[in-house]
Amino acid sequence: MRRFPKEQFLILKGLADITEAIEIPALAAKLAADQALVAAGAQLLGDEGLVEITEIPRQEFVLKEGGQSAAREKLPERRVLEALAAAGKPLTMQDLPEHTGLETKQVGASLRFLTAKGWAVKQGPELTLGEGADTGLAGPGPDEALLSHLAEQEGGRLWEEDLEDAPFDLAAALKLLKGRRELFEIKQKRRRLVSLSKEGRAAVEAGIEEAREVTQLTPEMIATGEWADVSFKSYDVNLGVTPVSPGKPHPMQRVVGETRKVFIEMGFEEIVSPWVESAFWNFDALFQPQDHPAREMQDTFYLSRPDEIELPSDETLIKRVANTHEDGGETGSQGWQYRWDPKRAMTAVLRTHTTSATARALAEQPQGPRKVFCVGRVFRREAIDYKHLPVFQQVDGIIIDESATFANLLGTLGAFYQKMGFDKFEFRPGFFPYTEPSVEVFIWLEEKKDWFEMGGAGMFRPEVTEPLGCTSPVLAWGLGLERLAMLRYNVLDMRALYLTDLEWLKEVPLCR
Amino acid sequence: MPVVGIPVERLRELLGAEISPEDLLTKLGHLGCDVEGYSVLKRVRCNRCEAVIELTETEDIPPLCDTCGAELREDHTELSPLEVLRMELLAVRPDMFDPGGLARVLRGYLGQETGAPHYEVGEPVLRLRVDPVVKQETSYRPRIACAVIENVELDLDALKILMKLQENLHWAVGRNRKHASIGVYDLDTLEGDLTYTAEDPDDFRFAPLGAEGSGAEHAVPMRAILEEHPKGVAYAHLLEGFSAYPVLKDARGQVLSMPPVINSEETKVTVQSKRLFIDVTGLRRRVVERTLNIMVSSLLENVPGARVQAVTIEDPDEGESRVTPDFSVQEVKVSPARATRTLGIDIDTHQAVELLRRMRHEAEVTGPDEVTVGVPGYRNDIIHQIDLIEDLAIAYGYHNIPPTLVPTFTVGRERPVELLADKMRATFQGLGFLEVMTLVLTNPEVHDDALGAERTGNAVEVAHPISSEQTMLRTRLLPGLLATLEHNLTQPLPQRIFEVGDVTRLDPASETRAREWRHFACGMISTREGFEDIKALAEALLREVGVEWELRPIDEPPYLKGRAAEAVWVGQDAPEAGTRLLGFGEINPEVLERFHLQNPTVALEGNLELLLDGR
Repeated sequence: MRRFPKEQFLILKGLADITEAIEIPALAAKLAADQALVAAGAQLLGDEGLVEITEIPRQEFVLKEGGQSAAREKLPERRVLEALAAAGKPLTMQDLPEHTGLETKQVGASLRFLTAKGWAVKQGPELTLGEGADTGLAGPGPDEALLSHLAEQEGGRLWEEDLEDAPFDLAAALKLLKGRRELFEIKQKRRRLVSLSKEGRAAVEAGIEEAREVTQLTPEMIATGEWADVSFKSYDVNLGVTPVSPGKPHPMQRVVGETRKVFIEMGFEEIVSPWVESAFWNFDALFQPQDHPAREMQDTFYLSRPDEIELPSDETLIKRVANTHEDGGETGSQGWQYRWDPKRAMTAVLRTHTTSATARALAEQPQGPRKVFCVGRVFRREAIDYKHLPVFQQVDGIIIDESATFANLLGTLGAFYQKMGFDKFEFRPGFFPYTEPSVEVFIWLEEKKDWFEMGGAGMFRPEVTEPLGCTSPVLAWGLGLERLAMLRYNVLDMRALYLTDLEWLKEVPLCR
Repeated sequence: MPVVGIPVERLRELLGAEISPEDLLTKLGHLGCDVEGYSVLKRVRCNRCEAVIELTETEDIPPLCDTCGAELREDHTELSPLEVLRMELLAVRPDMFDPGGLARVLRGYLGQETGAPHYEVGEPVLRLRVDPVVKQETSYRPRIACAVIENVELDLDALKILMKLQENLHWAVGRNRKHASIGVYDLDTLEGDLTYTAEDPDDFRFAPLGAEGSGAEHAVPMRAILEEHPKGVAYAHLLEGFSAYPVLKDARGQVLSMPPVINSEETKVTVQSKRLFIDVTGLRRRVVERTLNIMVSSLLENVPGARVQAVTIEDPDEGESRVTPDFSVQEVKVSPARATRTLGIDIDTHQAVELLRRMRHEAEVTGPDEVTVGVPGYRNDIIHQIDLIEDLAIAYGYHNIPPTLVPTFTVGRERPVELLADKMRATFQGLGFLEVMTLVLTNPEVHDDALGAERTGNAVEVAHPISSEQTMLRTRLLPGLLATLEHNLTQPLPQRIFEVGDVTRLDPASETRAREWRHFACGMISTREGFEDIKALAEALLREVGVEWELRPIDEPPYLKGRAAEAVWVGQDAPEAGTRLLGFGEINPEVLERFHLQNPTVALEGNLELLLDGR
């Protein structure tokens, strides 16, 4: 004894009574069930092989808006014909709208059919009755008969087979109506005939019964075992559901996190330094002359609280930095040839780069081998627009190593970008006050077909390292991170990273 | 960085070698030039002062002439368009700002012409006396250097190139004319020896460049020039506080210029000029002389056939008179072994000589590991042998250096606070919160007033904010979270967001008088959000952190009285009694209104760094 959901059970029972195939609407009528449910049930039974479904193509004639009105008010060409007959004389094209009640445009359009049917002839501006006028006036042609016939049907539609015995010449009607798509159309449809298959009949003979259909499985059903006696309503898997989304890291934080991970993997120690910084560590220790444009008030945030920061207590360090700026000191450099002002080195600024962190690290422990890095926010006095923010994030790193070379710097930068997922990169000469040689890193973005500048790097100048007590080469870099995030997550406006749209956060795939 | 348009045709002529447009871009890239690409410029000439104005295809002709203030849009002559190579000015290489200078570098790099170019300076043909008044504080512009150029043949294009070079040198070397400003004059309009002096701004008058005409009837008091002439207005600040303005004049008293602001109309250079006088004034001798060298040498490169003659400067301050320009090379010793060690590629002495000569330096082997380099007088950026090692690396080509890694093994190490922060993030994410990052620059209106909180006075304040929105650094995260919820008013509820980030507070004990603290905070908004929800969350976080705590009611903004609490650290691990781990509660509806939030909101904030101790 097999159990079937209600509709399927009824279909099987209904089909068992008859031997011939039956159409779905007829079957639904016979079962007094909803046609859509019967169709769906039949399909499911068909998939199981219990029911055979045969599809036969058929044509449906459907009257359109234009055909409805033509059937009601006669075809335009007939109205012209009748007007000409009534007037008993040729009429001009301009006169016809008044005589027929047609619009000028319709009159013009009817000309083709008047000529084709031989009902009228155009001579100059005038229309005269043609040689087929008498036939026309005698009664409606087959085309008109078809339109009227269709108009009498419910919904203005009929199957092709229902027209076989029509009291007019269908072929002639179709020929006349060819191309008049505004009047009616022929739709290609299918008839679906269903019948019981051999397996279906066997199943019915073996006995079938109707199962109770349920939507929701309940704890009671599981506890009582009732679930085994019910059928579960099939769901439409394409129906919409209320979206849920997981808790997620911010895309920018993901870039920051990955950057940290990459440097830690490569053996770097993570360091930190304050956002509020003295000009000494932000500029002077990096051999940036005190009149350098980057130090001007329009580029750097100077602070009113605190406004001044004590210089390091190590006086020899201050002296060495001062001498290096003035005439190169003991570094073999000419220096910048000006009088270094300790007061200016004491001004408090928001750090303009994380290089202040690496400068401090270098001064604290100048002996290598050492690899350190710092990820953090930096501040530039820039007006906010789609590619500038006054606060952004950088990663700075240094390698202090007796054997470190410029080639090692290129290798380290390459390894970083490769690990971040950028395979193609290029190094071009760059120019920074505290590194020599200096280099700019560009990465290639295949989808944008362009190079993007990622940041600057180089070897700290002797004028930077020697006053801080370091005699080995120091490889250094400072790379922007927002741009990496923007390229990776296709963010066009940098502001979107920090004025967060929750919708966007939900949309950015976590696993990408 | 400003962008310069180098006329392509001119550059090709000066280069004298066939090079495809693509190849040229590549080579310039290898030299470190930031090239934007090729483009075509529209050009018009001012009918009054004959200045040529270049415009990109989308730019309109400005209403007034930038040089003389004439009605340019109404009164100009259209010139033929010009194909240029647009590149950013490389501030450290002012000797590459113009087609002549750029061609000089390229000829070396391509190997057509190597070593330092030699510019023969002819005998002095002019004397210039420096009046000590320019060394006084009331008219301070103490340094001057000059040159005479003869046998000059200028066309409009060449004239435009020189004017652009002058302008760009003013920006890059002169720091907008403060440190150095350049004047170029038609020498044939001058008579006799020159004087560099200073004059009274109200009594002394002359006709500035761009005046309707020349001579006494068009002369204007110097102060009026600063107030009315476009260039006067632009550079008046450089003479602020002076009681006498620097002036350069000839034996008749004809004014050449009022440095560093403007030249006189009578002495201006035209395409007819055959002999030029050039001066550079400024604050420091080295900058002034280098600027003159760059200007003169580039002029010689751009105007074939021109010759330079010296000028004798009589400066009582400097004792004996001296002669400018001085093109003698600067001698620097380079160790090829150091270059090898630095770059990680093998460089022997002969290779070092070849590479440095391709960068237009004189170079010869003078020892087993010594190359003596003569740096040409127009180079402004060589102050240490390391600068020459970079030049050598550029000649070698960065793209030819195989990238390698340092061989030394080191152990990576994370900061403990970052490890803890990541765990805190994972906890929030596990609870279904979205992470946000908010702005660290803020203002007291949003940061304190909107929350109904006192301005505590422990915030770092910016001296010259760009806007009133960004005047201080945040001292806590909550205001940013509330602003984020406000930004997402139209998004579906519930919303749950968190941030783990740094805040800054003044701290007299710290070296920089302020320090960062790593905070964590979250906010939840929905149609029914209450104390119970945020308490459950707070306790979940505290359990995951693994500390013992006690809850105590608090009455502080932005929370609603009677609906807020703090978790205080207790037990053996607690660093000191009463340390607050976090505070939380329902946001006061008064605060919700200020942030336009229309649903109950709860929030929490704590200091993550405190948790590092004792764990």
